[in-house]
Amino acid sequence: MPITNDFDVIIIGGGITGAGTARDCAMRGLKVLLIERHDIATGATGRNHGLLHSGARYAVKDSESAEECIRENKILRSIASNCIEDTGGLFITLPEDEESGYGLDYQKKFLEACNKAGIESRAISPSEARQMEPSVNPSLIGAVVVPDGSVDPFRLCAANVTDAALHGAKILVYTEFLDFIRQNDTILGVKVLDTRTGQTAEYRAPVTVNAAGIWGHGVAEKAGVHIGMYPAKGALLVFGHRVNNVVINRCRKSADGDILVPGDSVTVIGTTSTKVPFEECDHMEVTPDEVRLLLREGCALCPALASTRILRAYAGVRPLVADDSDPTGRSISRGIVCLDHETRDGVKGFVSITGGKLMTYRLMAELATDAVCRKLGVKQACTTADTPLPGSLDGRIETVSKRFEGKVSLGQKSAAGRQGDLVGKILFETEADKQLVCECENVTLAEIKYAVRELGVRNLQDLRRRTRVGMGTCQGTLCIRKAAKALAEALGDPSAADKLAADYLDERWKGMRAVGWGDTLREMEFMQRVYKFEKPYSYDEV
Amino acid sequence: MMKFDVVIIGGGLAGMTAATELQKSGVRCAVVSEGLSLHNPSTREFKAAGGTLLNGDSVTGGEFEEGRLASVRTAKLGDVTLEAETFILATGKYFSKGIVADMDRVYEPLFGLDVQYDSDRSTWFDPSFAAPQRFLEFGVEVRDGKAVKDGEVIRNLYPIGEVVYGISSAQGDTTGQIRQSALDAVQAIRRI
Repeated sequence: MPITNDFDVIIIGGGITGAGTARDCAMRGLKVLLIERHDIATGATGRNHGLLHSGARYAVKDSESAEECIRENKILRSIASNCIEDTGGLFITLPEDEESGYGLDYQKKFLEACNKAGIESRAISPSEARQMEPSVNPSLIGAVVVPDGSVDPFRLCAANVTDAALHGAKILVYTEFLDFIRQNDTILGVKVLDTRTGQTAEYRAPVTVNAAGIWGHGVAEKAGVHIGMYPAKGALLVFGHRVNNVVINRCRKSADGDILVPGDSVTVIGTTSTKVPFEECDHMEVTPDEVRLLLREGCALCPALASTRILRAYAGVRPLVADDSDPTGRSISRGIVCLDHETRDGVKGFVSITGGKLMTYRLMAELATDAVCRKLGVKQACTTADTPLPGSLDGRIETVSKRFEGKVSLGQKSAAGRQGDLVGKILFETEADKQLVCECENVTLAEIKYAVRELGVRNLQDLRRRTRVGMGTCQGTLCIRKAAKALAEALGDPSAADKLAADYLDERWKGMRAVGWGDTLREMEFMQRVYKFEKPYSYDEV
Repeated sequence: MMKFDVVIIGGGLAGMTAATELQKSGVRCAVVSEGLSLHNPSTREFKAAGGTLLNGDSVTGGEFEEGRLASVRTAKLGDVTLEAETFILATGKYFSKGIVADMDRVYEPLFGLDVQYDSDRSTWFDPSFAAPQRFLEFGVEVRDGKAVKDGEVIRNLYPIGEVVYGISSAQGDTTGQIRQSALDAVQAIRRI
């Protein structure tokens, strides 16, 4: 039977935009429900570079986006310090860029545009650039230093969700939006499906926010309104170790594969931009041509990539709002689109927040929340730009590590890096709790228990997004049974271990298949050997 | 130049099985092993029978003449080649680099032997990790127990174990199949 609940606002979508909006609404005193059909950060939020843009990329062509970016860049550094690594960034000019009109003359124009947008940038000599980032293409003829960084989008999204919940928001993951409850021209709420139990339910609120990314197109259609969205697929490759320590960009017109971002233990090259049909958005596969292109362009930034093992490939879909004039999707501004469907389409109680990008999620959330508050007659001002997220109240690992008694282990140190000041909630009660389950990312049993207890983890993919389990060099080959067993026990169902491991391996396999040759194929053979010898997945016999 | 009756390239299960059987029946064998061999009992038996184990070395290439492999070079012996009446190739599959896949092809890196594989990459993998995986079958072509290069049979080169098309220990327990391929080669060589 449907359950009726009363909320001030219902937010559809547990990506970074929905999570940020839930947090903002909750902090302004609204009663919030967030629904997400999978886990948080499963769409475009978790399928990008993890780049903390300085905005420099947009400076020449789109000063508005550039200014937004650098403002949010500075805000995120202060409110989400635990999710951010201040790597710095380089925009390099290569000899061949001279020929295509993006030589050192363009660099001058680029510098001017950056400074005009408020992006602190300065040109350095090629030898200084090589010193700053030894892996950079040594044939570079110029470089500009910008305040780029890397951001862990999973952690950022989880921190927003956690904070929303701390402010009273109700978060329902694995809850799929089915349809609106509607009376004439007014949206009264949503009908949802619990994808794990198969039960449906209804929730009512005076305002519903569509923050479903590219899937927001379909959500809007259900309300009878059309948003001309442009699904732009972006493919990326993850390399087997951290090749560079500084973000490397190409100083030219934005093109495919021209950003190389170091993040945690790996390096990511991307992206491409191709329009894809809406039907494909749920099943992104990276094509051999995309891999070739990314490798070619990546090697121009950093030649060492040619001999580095590729861990996996993945792709996300940018929720761009269409401008029909450009088929590649690159000349569309990454600008934020906040639509009040009452004024736009005559549909009351419905707001869409889309466009934008990971970098500007907080601003998007602010705009969406402003729109919600206007509808509800709430006058509270936004405070998200000044209030640190959970985990980032005290960002320094040294301080955080003091929360542990005795000698701090590697696993504890890594946990502090990931969970920030929330690390005190990770309980190292027994010796076993200190044991490393994932040795690539130094994830302890205690951290897994914490993720189940406090972060809503239900399967190994959820666990990966909260703790980085299985994201490192071995892609789970050496730890997934241990992790599956630990997770199954923490969930109170030890018999679920085999299924958890099997699902996880299928997911890792997908990313590896796209780059299945060379050393990656060797790893794949090894993975098959480890898990298929004799009876597959017979956990108890190991 | 060093001369043996049989030179076995690769000291894994297949290579050591063949080498030990041959050496024990009086055939003078040398095994070139990269040193990753986990078959200590097997190497012990081989050495006890008087076999030569070039441990920690690897074959880098060979000379062919008139449809046969005449000699091989190794990383450590430099100009000193290894000659033999018969050669056994037991270099394994991808993990041990007996078979190498790059973006465009699958090849056998030591001698450029003919490899059976599907050039359509989309057939290589099953989306389900637990399902049989096509790429694990790929390996060198074998005709009458012998290797093939550019369509011609190399009459004194016997591929055994996982380097061979259709044999993969990653598909399940294929120990028996691997040993059998070694013993088949041993039998064929003894008949010479």
